[in-house]
Amino acid sequence: MAIQSSEELEVAKLLVDVLNLEDITAEEVDPEEMLFGDGLGLDSIDALEIALAISQKYGVQMKAEDESTREAFATLKSLTIFIFASKA
Amino acid sequence: MSCAHIPLTGRNLSDDFAFLTHILPGINTCKGSVSAMQFLSHCTSLAQQLPAGVHVINLCNNRYRFLVAFCAVILRNQTNLLPPNKNVATQIRLASLYDDCYLLHDGDTDIASDIRALNMTDLVLDISTTFDVSPTIPAEHLAAISFTSGSTGDSKPNKKYWHSLKVSSDINYRHMIPENTSVLHQVATVPAQHMWGLETSIFLPLHHNVCIADSRPFYPEDILLHLRLLPQPRMLVTTPVHLRSLVEGFSERTISDVRPHVDLILCATSPLLPVLAKSAEAFFTGELREVYGCSEVGSMAVRHTANDTVWRLFDDIAFNYQPDGVVVTAEHLAESTLLQDKIERCDTHHFVLKGRSEDMIDIAGKRGSLVEINQVLLSFDGLQDGLVFFPKNQPGLGRLAAIVTLKTGVTKNDVKQYFRQHVDNAFVPRPIIVVDELPREETGKLSNSTIMNIYSHRKISV
Repeated sequence: MAIQSSEELEVAKLLVDVLNLEDITAEEVDPEEMLFGDGLGLDSIDALEIALAISQKYGVQMKAEDESTREAFATLKSLTIFIFASKA
Repeated sequence: MSCAHIPLTGRNLSDDFAFLTHILPGINTCKGSVSAMQFLSHCTSLAQQLPAGVHVINLCNNRYRFLVAFCAVILRNQTNLLPPNKNVATQIRLASLYDDCYLLHDGDTDIASDIRALNMTDLVLDISTTFDVSPTIPAEHLAAISFTSGSTGDSKPNKKYWHSLKVSSDINYRHMIPENTSVLHQVATVPAQHMWGLETSIFLPLHHNVCIADSRPFYPEDILLHLRLLPQPRMLVTTPVHLRSLVEGFSERTISDVRPHVDLILCATSPLLPVLAKSAEAFFTGELREVYGCSEVGSMAVRHTANDTVWRLFDDIAFNYQPDGVVVTAEHLAESTLLQDKIERCDTHHFVLKGRSEDMIDIAGKRGSLVEINQVLLSFDGLQDGLVFFPKNQPGLGRLAAIVTLKTGVTKNDVKQYFRQHVDNAFVPRPIIVVDELPREETGKLSNSTIMNIYSHRKISV
């Protein structure tokens, strides 16, 4: 697995926390593994929960209209890049 | 009834019927309003281009395309199948169950490769045919078959006849919409294929003073954006899950300028907390009406959740209180339906909901049967023993949990994959707890306290 950056670990902790992902620790989330579908197996309910947590913690809003949001939800890595770029 | 016909739309043909937030190839050349006349032109144009067939799996994502497709199918005397989800496996199963079936979609969905399919975005629909009156549909035409959002693949079909949908819509309009002479502009966050979305975002615009936006926004920011695009007065059709993300995601920010005024919010699919209802009313400065219904019957009752715990049963729908539960009957419904909820009668028109029967679970508005999900687990080859349950008092939305013992060489991941293939994603247990042995009592029973003991003492992340 690729090595997590400190920002990725921070976002991974948020995911594990809000989604009650008990089968995996924040440290174990592979930055390049797919979040939805076969990877972590998240679904659309999780997507709303994640969007809510991100808006509360970082003040960043997800928008499905933006291609960038769809791409952001691909992996931990892309989600982290999206959050920290939008926040800045 | 046998020879009666009912208009496809009861709207004044010059009314604003829909509001397009996008340019839809083959449909419009600019964003904005579509009149009821233009809508009829789109429908008849598509109807002429549809292939022969009996059943049509309507997968359209764009709400306006769905609506045009839905009505064109009916004009061709065909029947819409409204799939409970868009999975390829569901398409294949429906096509195997229903005669002479094809798929109608708008491009943005995975399509089963060996079923006949028509992509609406490949077609050009004429917008300029004029009508003096709306075309009519035979009252007894089977317009659609919807499917109860069950936990497993075998969801139950519900036949929806044209006259019954029309009568339901008239009843819904009377109870859902405050008396209002001007056209309400609606954004809906729910899919048109589900009964709640069908009644509100398809049938209200077809027959009543509602202009429907073509979009289905998902994230809070999208919902607000699409509401702001619409002229006033506005209405929002949504679910507790979307409402929560809206209200909680924005309340700490001082953004009163981006919050659109919404005159009416309709919310259904799972129980809404009064505190969330109050926050939503404050957020949108409008009235929130919560609606109670089920796939078989449709909407049945309404309440102003911020103030009331008691539900007002719709006129023309009757609750028959019987020992095994409440049976719903109505003149316009072919069959009676036994409700899965515990209901306490106040008087003929009012009742209180006392929760679901033990077997029924509700995860973010998706309803499923614990018995069925447990049967899925028991059908897994690698299982020695196990059960699925719904832990109480979880933070957030709550998910199912499973405790299992597995045969040698079988992993937790195998169980998870098996669930993903056989149940809706929302019902895949999380966590799945693997133990050496389930501490069953001599009778073979597992007590609630034993289950909760294992659950609360589970090792986090093994």
